Amino acid sequence: MVKQTSLISRLQSIAGADGVTPAAKLSAFAVDGLTPQAAVAPSTYEQVAEVMSYAHAEELAVIPWGGGSHMHIGNLPSRYDIALSLSRLDQIVEHEPADLTVTCQAGITLAALQRRLRPDGQLVPLDSASAERATIGGLLAVNASGASRHAHGALRDFTIGLRVVTGDGRLTRAGGRVVKNVAGYDLCKLYVGSLGTLGVIVEATFKLAPLPRAQRTAITTFDSAARACAFAAELQRRGLSLRSLQLLNPAAASGADLPVSVRSFALVLALAGTPQAVERSHREIIDLARESAAGMAPVDGADKLEDSLRQSASPDASALLCKATALPSRLPALIEAFEAVGGSPSVIALPTVGILHASWPTVDDVEDTVRGVRDATAGVGGSLVIEVCPRDLKRSLDVFPDVSGPSFDLMRRVKREFDPAGILSPGRFLGRL
Amino acid sequence: MLDFQVVTNPALIRDLRRAVGAKWVLDAPEDLIVYEYDATIERGMPEAVVLPDSDEQVAAAVRIARRHNVPVTARGAGTGLSGGAIPCDGGVVIATSRMNRILEVDPENRLAVVEPGVINLDVSEAVAPYGLYYAPDPSSQKACTMGGNVAENAGGPHCLRYGTTTNHVLGLQIVTPEGDLLWLGDKTPDPPGYDLTGLVVGSEGTLCIVTKIIVRLLDRPQSTVTLLAIFDEVDQASRAVSAIIGQGIVPAALEMMDRNTMRAVEEAVHAGYPPDAGAVLLIEVDGLEEETREQADSVRALCDELGARELRIGFSLEDRERLWAGRKGALGALGRLAPSYYILDGVVPRTKLPAVLRGVYEACDRFGFQVANVFHAGDGNLHPNILFDERVPGATQRVLDLGAVIMRLCVDAGGTITGEHGVGYEKRNYMSWIFSEDDLEVMGRVKLAFGTGGAFNPGKVFPSSKGCGEVSSRMKGAIAKAGPDAYV
Repeated sequence: MVKQTSLISRLQSIAGADGVTPAAKLSAFAVDGLTPQAAVAPSTYEQVAEVMSYAHAEELAVIPWGGGSHMHIGNLPSRYDIALSLSRLDQIVEHEPADLTVTCQAGITLAALQRRLRPDGQLVPLDSASAERATIGGLLAVNASGASRHAHGALRDFTIGLRVVTGDGRLTRAGGRVVKNVAGYDLCKLYVGSLGTLGVIVEATFKLAPLPRAQRTAITTFDSAARACAFAAELQRRGLSLRSLQLLNPAAASGADLPVSVRSFALVLALAGTPQAVERSHREIIDLARESAAGMAPVDGADKLEDSLRQSASPDASALLCKATALPSRLPALIEAFEAVGGSPSVIALPTVGILHASWPTVDDVEDTVRGVRDATAGVGGSLVIEVCPRDLKRSLDVFPDVSGPSFDLMRRVKREFDPAGILSPGRFLGRL
Repeated sequence: MLDFQVVTNPALIRDLRRAVGAKWVLDAPEDLIVYEYDATIERGMPEAVVLPDSDEQVAAAVRIARRHNVPVTARGAGTGLSGGAIPCDGGVVIATSRMNRILEVDPENRLAVVEPGVINLDVSEAVAPYGLYYAPDPSSQKACTMGGNVAENAGGPHCLRYGTTTNHVLGLQIVTPEGDLLWLGDKTPDPPGYDLTGLVVGSEGTLCIVTKIIVRLLDRPQSTVTLLAIFDEVDQASRAVSAIIGQGIVPAALEMMDRNTMRAVEEAVHAGYPPDAGAVLLIEVDGLEEETREQADSVRALCDELGARELRIGFSLEDRERLWAGRKGALGALGRLAPSYYILDGVVPRTKLPAVLRGVYEACDRFGFQVANVFHAGDGNLHPNILFDERVPGATQRVLDLGAVIMRLCVDAGGTITGEHGVGYEKRNYMSWIFSEDDLEVMGRVKLAFGTGGAFNPGKVFPSSKGCGEVSSRMKGAIAKAGPDAYV
């Protein structure tokens, strides 16, 4: 094992003295309570590669860092020597508006990137509750997706190129900068959602979307999740101009201060598109709500509403936070089963996608609740990831679904090929890869 | 890496027959010859062709091939344009034509499970009663199979708005080189672990054999409007492409044809293209009626502004089909211009289209060949078709050299060597133009993880100096018989 002092001086020689965090401030890079021996923030891709070569040679465990907003996701690291921060790699590399693509460094925050694209009437079609803090690299690593997934798909759908430093310190390229590309294996898919276990993402190229010319929000209310989901399915079938549909259970709706009655499920509908199409969609929603005896709640400022939705399932305010996925048709049953687990979880679901986030601000018996949500999810054939739980529990709990069998063997072989020394975010991924 | 020998092997044939039934294993030369080609110019003769009926039979055939140390190449309809289905090193071809069942349609969750031999268009037809369709629409969609689409990550005119095959495949059942069946991905979103589904899509049959496919379905748009804009010059048309995208409109499709193509089409289809026009754009928008009307108005205004000499618009299915007829018949019509043509597939950033197209014309002039461009302009996905006569000594080789020059133009403009046809055999040595040795080495690690070696579709994707079976000698004098069998 390398001594901390020589580790730090080696990192300083790579990234400069100001690129290495003083020992006293290392706790800022703790992951699940583990503090690294050193934290380095390279300012070039080559420096990232050099850090990785060094770590590879010395078998030092590295965890890549973005803004830290999603570091609660993942298993307890089995080892952790170096925090590799991408924070100094925060530039836009290329943006040609008429190409409708952008290439940026991994350390730029989502909000900063959106601000740069906005004057050209464009956006990366991804929303995140922590956009000011979350970096592109981090969002890619956790395969983050927000409510606009309904309209735009997931990161895998609009990430067209990546530059990645391998576990042994080579700067490599996957994909490219053009929107259609079938040259070679599509390694972008492999890196997206790999939680920093296969390589360090240093640059990304995205397909962009035009900013919608018109937007509007509507809130409809229902006495059951099933009715809300049926309503959502009908809106989807009609092809209305919807950017997102979010279903809130009564606890989530009241947590978000929605002006709805205490027992109502709320469906928050964000409309976006051309002006006339948005107006027509809004009219149809009102008509359909009337026909199906759904309520309509007033919308008091769309921005304020977005803010309060973001706060309502914040990881910081959760003792337990889970992400469950299921077929859209099974979501009502899943929501019901989650509520039956007890503890009044706030549930926010994407009914047309089949994703649900449930959060408990406090939990009495966390192991019991985890068992409950696992059974609930298994009951509808879905899968569950525990995104936030008490630190002590992480020692014994695998936050990902149980895996075994041949497809996991294949994943294990991929990990072994990409990170033979086992130094990239070791232990954090599925099956503790 | 396995060492394969290409020799006739009666024991191999016997074992295969035992596994799938005597009738479903072909080994007579007159039968095999049908399986030695696709829509490209390479050829490669298999030792045996197996026509399995189930995933289990595919797995059994793979195990047998492995035991006999011969490679396996999967084959759909043979419409591929990069040699993906050509058994370069001989061995066993697994043809999926009997595995053509749509196993499940779940309209509520907008998905379907299909076998690899299902024809692309049949999926959309099967789900049409539910108001749904399968979005990727390669021009060969009446013939090409879903398994082939997955292997090549097939595109099509409507990829611009809806993405390619990879954006619509949720999960795959595969056969590994060991002959094991396993599932990657799932019907539900974000399945746990690495996205191996996304990795297999577009891997050109080199990692595994796909035996079942879970696809996402989309709701049919309420309204579709097709516009056709005729320009005097190609440059004007390419500027219109950038202007439309830059205006924040992402049409469902945005296609271009140049003068040579229009000339051929006019003779064949009588689409009413003026003989002196330089280029035609076909633009399709879909969505709510209000949206398509607003977007069609904007597109019309932009084309006017950029000097379109004529604009046609179609709202009804019949009118729209008439506008598409020229585009859909384009490749077939090219046969009127020359005995042969060679289809290229490259991609450039949309803003580089005018410059790269100029470069393509200049290069073709320099080599003394005519070229007809018909392509997915909205994606920057070029398809120059080089017209030639293979009976002229040396012509085929010069066409291949010209192809390389054009690919180089795409790469130098920041683009890539294939947008939807695949690398296959033909372009494998261009891979090093866009990827470093390290990049390729990392791709090679995927092959190691899958344990594939040369077991599946050897000789494809990765740079190599090795020839494709008996092809290399034949290739020089080959007939680029793309003709009516080929699609773009």
